Amino acid sequence: MTPPSWLGQGWLAPHYLGWLLKGAAMTAALALCICLSATVLGVLLTAAQDSKQRWLQWPARLFCSLHRNSPLLVQVLLWYFGVGGLLPDQAMQWLNSPHQLQLPLGLSLSWPSFEWLAAWIALSLYSACFISGELAAGLRTVGSGQRLAGRALGMSEWQIFRFVVLPQALRHIRQPLLGQYTAIIKNTSLTMAIGVAELSYTSRQVESETLLAFQAFAVATLLYLLLVVLTQVIGSQRRPGVKAP
Amino acid sequence: MKTTSLLLALTLLGNAGHALADRLDDIKKAGVLRVAAFDSNPPFGFLDAQTHQISGLDVEVAQAIAKKLQVKLELVATNPANRIPLLVAGKADLVAANFTVTDERKKQVDFSLPYFASGQQFIARKGSLSKPEQLAGLRVGVDKGTTQEIYLREKYSKTTVVAYDDTPLAFTALRNGNVQAISQDGSKLAALLANAPDKAKYELAPFTLTREYQAIGLPKGEARLSKAVNDTLVELEKSGQARKIYDRWFGPKTKAPLPRDFKIGDAA
Repeated sequence: MTPPSWLGQGWLAPHYLGWLLKGAAMTAALALCICLSATVLGVLLTAAQDSKQRWLQWPARLFCSLHRNSPLLVQVLLWYFGVGGLLPDQAMQWLNSPHQLQLPLGLSLSWPSFEWLAAWIALSLYSACFISGELAAGLRTVGSGQRLAGRALGMSEWQIFRFVVLPQALRHIRQPLLGQYTAIIKNTSLTMAIGVAELSYTSRQVESETLLAFQAFAVATLLYLLLVVLTQVIGSQRRPGVKAP
Repeated sequence: MKTTSLLLALTLLGNAGHALADRLDDIKKAGVLRVAAFDSNPPFGFLDAQTHQISGLDVEVAQAIAKKLQVKLELVATNPANRIPLLVAGKADLVAANFTVTDERKKQVDFSLPYFASGQQFIARKGSLSKPEQLAGLRVGVDKGTTQEIYLREKYSKTTVVAYDDTPLAFTALRNGNVQAISQDGSKLAALLANAPDKAKYELAPFTLTREYQAIGLPKGEARLSKAVNDTLVELEKSGQARKIYDRWFGPKTKAPLPRDFKIGDAA
């Protein structure tokens, strides 16, 4: 199929599409890890901010306002270049050389690169604060009668949170939470600043090799769209026992 | 008259959709030459701490061209990856930013005569890198969208290439231990090393991978503008001005001396 004349030099060679797909896989893997860790951390942050203990409340609030009020790109640079620069030389040497973790059954897992680790940490901390915001909003939708009922049954604060409040809150915040996951997928693109070979980074590489700027970035856009739609589809599945909102 | 109309017809053909006038006429009419230059790549283009102006070798060449055209110079700050987009989108008339001539780039932009030549070199910890074979298995930092990045990825498949936004960031990664070497033009690396507080730990590896030529980037098909730029460059060499500019940034008295082995007009 001949490309239309306005496309300039034509289609991207399959070889470059392969690069982009590899980048998309990297984006998906990174985003998945961040979603998991940020959700766990978000729940902990919410519990801390919601608790009656002052010493738990304040650090959690401070942590959240720190992250909510600074650009993500700066956080990414801070972790990679800043924290990386503070670590002792031996630690950096170890972190930046390839390692294999030997698992049972002859499996081995390679230790991720420092770029990847810094991206994961920075984005997890940042996203956790936003997820915690959504959770807090969800918690407020659970009536106080529910907590009282829990207390009447002799449940501890943590039990009330874990078995009464959280499940109901989660039901209300499914859509906003999916929105946060979508944001995480898109935010991974900022990690190209520290050399994580995700989709934006590879699209830039393809552009610099082929100079087909429109094609490279258009395909990258479509791949991002695909990832986000996939997230929405998976996230909107009706699970047994959970009524759709 | 005939040649002008012929040229005009050619530019019209070449730039369907662009302004009807010739770019040189546009520049003279506006009284301003917009040149994309680096603002963080000493000594080619960087923000001078004292004057708060972008200065450097590229900037001096741009100034000479503006003077020849008798217009004001307006510098547009750029990074390596944005050079071609700025030119193609018409946001800059010329690129003077350590712009290496490549066949791939020639499809998008035109180049003047080369006014500088260099080679791809490396900075690594002292004594850790002495020949190209040692690059296999190393992690090497480069600038995004540069010829060095492309060359390493194509020719050294066993080397892990990590691309950063600019050379100072790549150098930070080297000093942090994220990469074991960084790669750029030898000239740029020499300047970078000269400014490093811990330069005693590092050195320019004693080999050069490629020979590269830097030229002024122009929009495609602007024959009159090209001629004006080339004439200026040839004059700079003839009058000895080119050597003076070079010596100001790379001469024996500078912090990062680099012998001049290329003159404007040498066969590239």
